[in-house]
Amino acid sequence: MRIIDTDVHQSWPDPKEVYNRLPAYFRNENFTIPAGTHNNPVSVNRMDAVSPSGDPAGTNYEMMRSQHLDAFGIDAAILTGNSILGLGVHPHAEFAKAMARAYNEALLETWLSWDERFFGAMLVAPQDPVAAAAEIRKLGTHPRIVEVLMCSATRVPYGQSFYWPIYEAAQEMGLPVSVHPGTEGRGLSNGFIAGPPSTYLEWHTNLSQNYMGHVVSLACEGVFEKFPRLKFVAKEGGLAWIPGVLWRLDKNWKALRSSVPWVRRLPSEYIVDHIRFTSQPIEEPERPEHLRQLLEMIQAEKTLMFSSDYPHWDNDSPKHAFPKLPEALMERIMYKNAEETYPLAKANVSSSKEVA
Amino acid sequence: MKGYVVCEASEMKPGERKLIDADGKSIGVFNVNGEYYALRNICPHQFAPLCQGKVTGYCAPSEVGTFSWQRDGEIIRCPWHAWEFDIKDGRSIFNPHRVRTKSYDVKVESREEPSVETFAAKVEGDVVVVYA
Repeated sequence: MRIIDTDVHQSWPDPKEVYNRLPAYFRNENFTIPAGTHNNPVSVNRMDAVSPSGDPAGTNYEMMRSQHLDAFGIDAAILTGNSILGLGVHPHAEFAKAMARAYNEALLETWLSWDERFFGAMLVAPQDPVAAAAEIRKLGTHPRIVEVLMCSATRVPYGQSFYWPIYEAAQEMGLPVSVHPGTEGRGLSNGFIAGPPSTYLEWHTNLSQNYMGHVVSLACEGVFEKFPRLKFVAKEGGLAWIPGVLWRLDKNWKALRSSVPWVRRLPSEYIVDHIRFTSQPIEEPERPEHLRQLLEMIQAEKTLMFSSDYPHWDNDSPKHAFPKLPEALMERIMYKNAEETYPLAKANVSSSKEVA
Repeated sequence: MKGYVVCEASEMKPGERKLIDADGKSIGVFNVNGEYYALRNICPHQFAPLCQGKVTGYCAPSEVGTFSWQRDGEIIRCPWHAWEFDIKDGRSIFNPHRVRTKSYDVKVESREEPSVETFAAKVEGDVVVVYA
């Protein structure tokens, strides 16, 4: 079976590969990505993913190729970076924009040029949506750029009109907009609604909270009425909360729909039509049939895309993460939904549109 | 079908409503801009007394970021859970084909005065009659 891995974390042995591409001011005045306080006590990266030459996990192409792509027969991998998303919660928007540009440039010149199975998520700074839209129009034509990526930690939820220039540009370029967790509680972000937890265990569990807020906001603000061809990808935010939030949202809409009169259908219908969820970290109920029931509830045949999260500690194996599922459903999850979400085919058409 | 006299027509002004007991069945009768309508006083959702909710309007589907308040006075909002129904036909706004409450015919008729011997019956006014 073909496999499209929608979340693979690559970076460089030396962070200077990105930082050296910054304008001199930011490079020389010690601007850095905001750090978190909820450190993972068991290491974010897999210890067995360190290369024989000692390169950190996810920074060595040969290691990633042999250990992940070749070992599991992965046909396409979407590269989402490592420890870089925090640019989106830095208080200095100009630095955030420069950092995103530096990262995208490094991504294009190195990883995306090394293997035909690699596709890229371009980073943008959500602090300045108009500037982000310009970057999307500039890089979006590149045959290996297949999505726009931002951190799921925010100041205001992603449905609000502040962000719409990003969605307009992404729709125009045929790119989905995706969010990924990791920077919750850092920099500008709101963290969690009950307040900062004591441990990484709690912090990691709570990551789904922001996804609930974003999904509800996207449906209620009318983003998919305004941008009817837009796809939004909720990466690594969990799955089991989806039925509960969608049921609650639909019920409330029946009573309160006059407050969002542009939401013409059940809000859950917009979500199922426009939002895609990635599988890792897959929930593991004691009884596997509960996961099968969950996949039915979330219409996984339309909404779910496989992701490994290689090389992180909680990554999922393409071979062993799911219980036994019907072949047709596995095909949807492992590659068909991703093929319909990402413009992977444009890499085969022509390289004449490549931009520097 | 049986007719139930609700009140004198002059006793229910536009925007007003009355609840009647029709042989054990609770029915709400509404004067909407001079036209009369009646609905079963039961919401199909959780059997709340629908007709005791707010008479209001609603926002029709509109462009993102715009509000179009329409049909003011023609919508009843259930006092539980706030589902909206069209007073004129009992259909819900969010799912008119599958979620509705029963509506009844209402007529305004001349009062039938009992004839008293040779004195001429004096018609003092019309009455509102609901057929349920």
